[in-house]
Amino acid sequence: MIEALDIVLQNGEAMSPEAAENLSVGYAEAAAAIAVGLAALAAGYAERGIGAAAVGAIAEDDDMFVPGLIMTVLPETLVILALVVVFIVG
Amino acid sequence: MSLGASNPEYVNARVRSRRASLFADEDYRKLIRMGPSEIARFMEETEYEREINALGTRFSGVDLIEYALNRNLAKHFDDLLDWSEGRLYDLVSRYLRKFDVMNLKTVIRGIYTETDPEEVQTDLIRAGELDNRTIDRLLEVDTIEDAIEVVSGTIFYESLSAAHEEYEETGALVPLENALDREFYEHLLEDVSRPPGRTQPQEGPEARYIEFLQAEIDFRNARNALRLARSGADLDPAAYYIEGGVLFDASDLNRLVGDYDALVDHIAENKRYGDRLSGALGRLREADSLIQFEHALDAALLQYADTLSSIYPASVSAVLSYILAKEREVENIRAIARGREVGLSESEIEEELVIL
Repeated sequence: MIEALDIVLQNGEAMSPEAAENLSVGYAEAAAAIAVGLAALAAGYAERGIGAAAVGAIAEDDDMFVPGLIMTVLPETLVILALVVVFIVG
Repeated sequence: MSLGASNPEYVNARVRSRRASLFADEDYRKLIRMGPSEIARFMEETEYEREINALGTRFSGVDLIEYALNRNLAKHFDDLLDWSEGRLYDLVSRYLRKFDVMNLKTVIRGIYTETDPEEVQTDLIRAGELDNRTIDRLLEVDTIEDAIEVVSGTIFYESLSAAHEEYEETGALVPLENALDREFYEHLLEDVSRPPGRTQPQEGPEARYIEFLQAEIDFRNARNALRLARSGADLDPAAYYIEGGVLFDASDLNRLVGDYDALVDHIAENKRYGDRLSGALGRLREADSLIQFEHALDAALLQYADTLSSIYPASVSAVLSYILAKEREVENIRAIARGREVGLSESEIEEELVIL
């Protein structure tokens, strides 16, 4: 990884090994952040539909509140799984 | 056409819940054994409670049941239009315009026979797209010409004013009523089946929606053809032919009117309906009366809508299937109440019902 970065950066000044390592950690963390962000976006999109349906069901029948709530937050597992990436990378 | 995001999930959840609270087949069996006042009391314990209570002081017996049913139907279908947005609203309102057609016909007939507006008002089902203000104004006018002016700006205006000339010449209401029906069915498939610049969709819920509407048109054509044949009236079937279906073209219809078996065979040979409706078609063949034939068609359409709504859960199909099921419920209860009123036997009433 560091070697690859060195090659990429050869047209500039040569980089000290520590700087290169910092850079690679930075890239990895940025990648993890994007992964979590995209997962959260997807979860939000999934919840849009489910939430709408849940509100509809609750409007017809109050007993649907708890099942509706549970169904609505199910896609949150996407974000939780995506959080694992942060720990693996970090 | 309204723009903006549509919300099929929300509408579907509500519609399915209401669908579940419709009367089951066992309820009909119970109702068949009751008299009109018992039916009214039974309805009071179900979701018709509010309507029965509101109308209970003014009407009684079968009239009470009938008006309560109409009002409940209007309330539910108005809700559908309230909930849906965007594309979904567009698709649902297309179909519910059927009630606009019905109301306009009632108003025009009321004016024609000089019936008291109060009486006409109770017969209206305010479920369509026309708002209450327009309908109230319709009730105030005295001539058919003024009534047509009131609906200027709606899709019915142009064809109504064209038909009005014919009405003035002949004095018969038929041209006006045909104009309304034709306008309704033509707008039903407008833009959807052949969207501007695109070909007709082949896959997905929209394609099935078109298929459903085409089925409705086909069955309407079949029904008209049979009624014409049975009544023996010397009328041109082509005048009643509605375009947009796939089952008949105008010449088919001319040929098949009057030959019951050939007509049923024609439906069975069609690859779209033949397999799906094989059960109903069997019943069609056995049916000796027109009423049973029509009920079998209704049941077939209802079954088709149900299948569609489970194939495409988040589309307009569930709403359509609810609309059909609700209409069927209202018609069944009305048939039971009217049947009991005139003293039909239980088995005779049962024949009048559309039960799956």
